[in-house]
Amino acid sequence: MYLLEHDAKELLAQHGIAVPAGRLIGRGDAICHPALPPGPWIVKGQIAAGGRGKAGLIRRAETLQDVTGHTGAILGATVNGRAVEAVRIEQAVAGAGEAYLGLMLDAAAGGVRVILSARGGMEVEALPRAAIRTEVAAPDAAALAACVARLTNSLDGPESPALRDAGERLARVFLECEALLIEINPLFIRPGGGWIAGDAKFVTDDSALPRQPELRKLLESRAAAYPEAALKLEHGFDYVVADPAGEIGLLTTGAGLSMMLIDELRAAGLKPYNFLDIRTGGLRGKTKRLAQALDWIGRGSGVKVLLVNIFAGITDLGEFSRLLVAALGAARFRTPVVARLVGNGLPVAREVLAAAGIGLHTDLDAALAAVRGHLQR
Amino acid sequence: MINPRIDRSTPVIVQGITGRAGRLHSRLMRHYGTRIVGGVALADKHNNINGLPVFPDCKAAVAATGARASVLLVGALQLLAAMQDAVAAGIRTLVTPAEGMPAHDALKAWRLARDAGAAWIGASTPGMAVAGEVKLGFLPDDALKPGPLGLMSKSGTLSYEAGYRLAQRGVGTSVWIGVGGDPVKGTRYADLVPFYAADPETEALLIIGEIGGTDEEEFAAALAAQRFAKPVFALIAGRTAPEGITMGHAGALVHGSHGTFAAKRAALEAAGVRVFGSLNEMVEGVRATLG
Repeated sequence: MYLLEHDAKELLAQHGIAVPAGRLIGRGDAICHPALPPGPWIVKGQIAAGGRGKAGLIRRAETLQDVTGHTGAILGATVNGRAVEAVRIEQAVAGAGEAYLGLMLDAAAGGVRVILSARGGMEVEALPRAAIRTEVAAPDAAALAACVARLTNSLDGPESPALRDAGERLARVFLECEALLIEINPLFIRPGGGWIAGDAKFVTDDSALPRQPELRKLLESRAAAYPEAALKLEHGFDYVVADPAGEIGLLTTGAGLSMMLIDELRAAGLKPYNFLDIRTGGLRGKTKRLAQALDWIGRGSGVKVLLVNIFAGITDLGEFSRLLVAALGAARFRTPVVARLVGNGLPVAREVLAAAGIGLHTDLDAALAAVRGHLQR
Repeated sequence: MINPRIDRSTPVIVQGITGRAGRLHSRLMRHYGTRIVGGVALADKHNNINGLPVFPDCKAAVAATGARASVLLVGALQLLAAMQDAVAAGIRTLVTPAEGMPAHDALKAWRLARDAGAAWIGASTPGMAVAGEVKLGFLPDDALKPGPLGLMSKSGTLSYEAGYRLAQRGVGTSVWIGVGGDPVKGTRYADLVPFYAADPETEALLIIGEIGGTDEEEFAAALAAQRFAKPVFALIAGRTAPEGITMGHAGALVHGSHGTFAAKRAALEAAGVRVFGSLNEMVEGVRATLG
C-alpha cells in the first residue's frame, strides 16, 4: 500500500523520525487556524503518486490567507483522473540543505537497496550519478547499519554524519514495519547537523498486515483513503472500481486474467466498470462473497450488463453456478448476465444457468458478442 | 543454472498434506503422473492420507522416502518456516503456491534457497509442470498439452487461459513455470533463460507478464546477454491499470515510470521479443511461428 505523505509522516513520527509539524485537512473540513503550526507553511495535496510539485499540488503559504486560498485550490483538483481529497498543511523548513535517502526492497538483488545522496530535492533518476551512493544489504539490522556506514563514509561532505544517523534510524523502521520502500526526499539537513524528513514516500506490504497491528490500525482508521486495501483486509479479495462510468460489470477470478480482460475490453472500445479477483477457491460453498461483489457492482449507475468470466482450474463449475444463481437472487441483481465458463462440471453449470435464464458460453469472443448485444439494447 | 526438468521418477512430498488443499492436490498431482511419496503435517494425528504416509517433519519424510522435491501447501505466514524445514532436510526443489507471503519473509527465503542451491518456484504460484510428465501444483490438465513452447507466467489464471487456447489451436507446452505474482520470488523469468536456451524440447518461449516490478525488463536483458536464438513472445496484462493501486497481485503496482506497460514493451521489443496486446493475437502469432 502506497501511503499518503501525511500517513507516512505520522507513522515515521511514531517511530521517532523527525518530521515537520502538520495537520491533515480533508474536503469539507474547516481549517482551524490556532491548530496549525507556526508559519510559513507548505500546503501539500495528498495523492499516492509522484510529480505532485509539477501538478501544482505543493504550494508555499506566507500568510493564513494564502493557506486558505491554496487549500481551496488544491482540494478538489484532479490529477491523473483522481481527485485530491485532502491536504497536509505543515510548517516550512528554512535554511536547511537537501539530501536524499531511500531504502527499498530489491527483489532482483534479493536484499534491501540503500540509496543516498548529499543532493536531494529531485527525482533520484535525475540526480548526477557521481553524487549517488547505493548498495544492497541483507535484510537485517546489522547488515543495513554497516551498509549505511560504508555509503556515508564514502561521502566526504558535512552532511555525512546526519545522513548516517538518518539512514540507520530509517533502516530500523524499514525492518520493523516490513516496508517495501521508504524514500525521504528531500531529507533536510540543518547547518548544525540535525535532520528532518521533508517528504516521505512509504510503501507497506499488504501481505504483512496480519502481523503488523500498527499498520492494520492505520488502515482501519483511514479506510476511506485506501478503499482497495481496506476492502481486501475486510473481505479477503480484490475489488477496484476501474471506471465509475463503466457499463460492463465484471465477475471474474484471477488478477492477471481480470486485468487482461479489462485491457481487451477497453481496446475494443467497451467500458468495463470494475476489476475483481473473487477467488473461486475461497467461496467455500457459500454465496456471501459473490453477493457482496454483486452488491458493489450493482452500485455502478452505468452498468448495463454483467460479464461472468471464470476459468476454473479446480473449482467445480456446477457448484459455482448454483452459488452464482443464489447470489444473484439474494442481491436482487436485475442487470442481464452473460456467463463464460471453462473448466470441470460444465454440463451441470449449463443446466443450472439455463434454468435461471442465463446463457453460457465457453468461448470468450462469443460471450463478448452477447455483451455487445445487451449494450445496444 | 536452475534446471526445473523433473520427471516421473522424482520423489515428491506435500507439506501440509492433511489440509483441504493438501488432500485434494496430492490426489490430482498423482493422477497426472507425479510421484507423490508422502506428506508432512505438523501436529496432526493422521498417519495416512490418500494411502500416503504422513510425517511430522521433512527430515523424517526424506529419511523414509528419499523425497527430493516438495509442494508446500501451507499458509503464507507459515511458509518461511516450512521452507527452512524442507531445505534443512535436503529438499532442493520447492514449489510454494500460497498467496500473501510477507515480502520480508520472501527475501529471507530467497537467500535460503540461493545459499542451499535449491530451486524455489513461488510464492503465489499455481505451480510448474513438464507437460505430459509431471506437475507440481495446480495447473489444470486441460491447458497442459505437451509441445514445443516454453511458458513462464506471473499470473495463474491468465496462463491457464493462454495454455488452454494454445492447446485448442494445437500448440502444446514443454516446461511451464508459474513464477508467481509477488515482487520477491524464488525464480524470476531471467533466471530460467539459460535453461530454456539449452532445453532441446523447447523451440520457442512465451512469457505472460503484467505491470509492476522489473521482471520483464530483466528478462529482456538476460535474453540479450544469452544471445537467445529461439523465438520469444510476450503477453503483458495491465496496460490500462491506474498508477498507485494494486490490482490483485502484490507485484502489480505501478508508481511513476516504474513498472509501466510502455517500459516493459520497449525493453522486450528491443530484445527482439514479439509483444502482443491480446490473447487472440498472441495465440495466432505463436501458432503461425510454431505451426
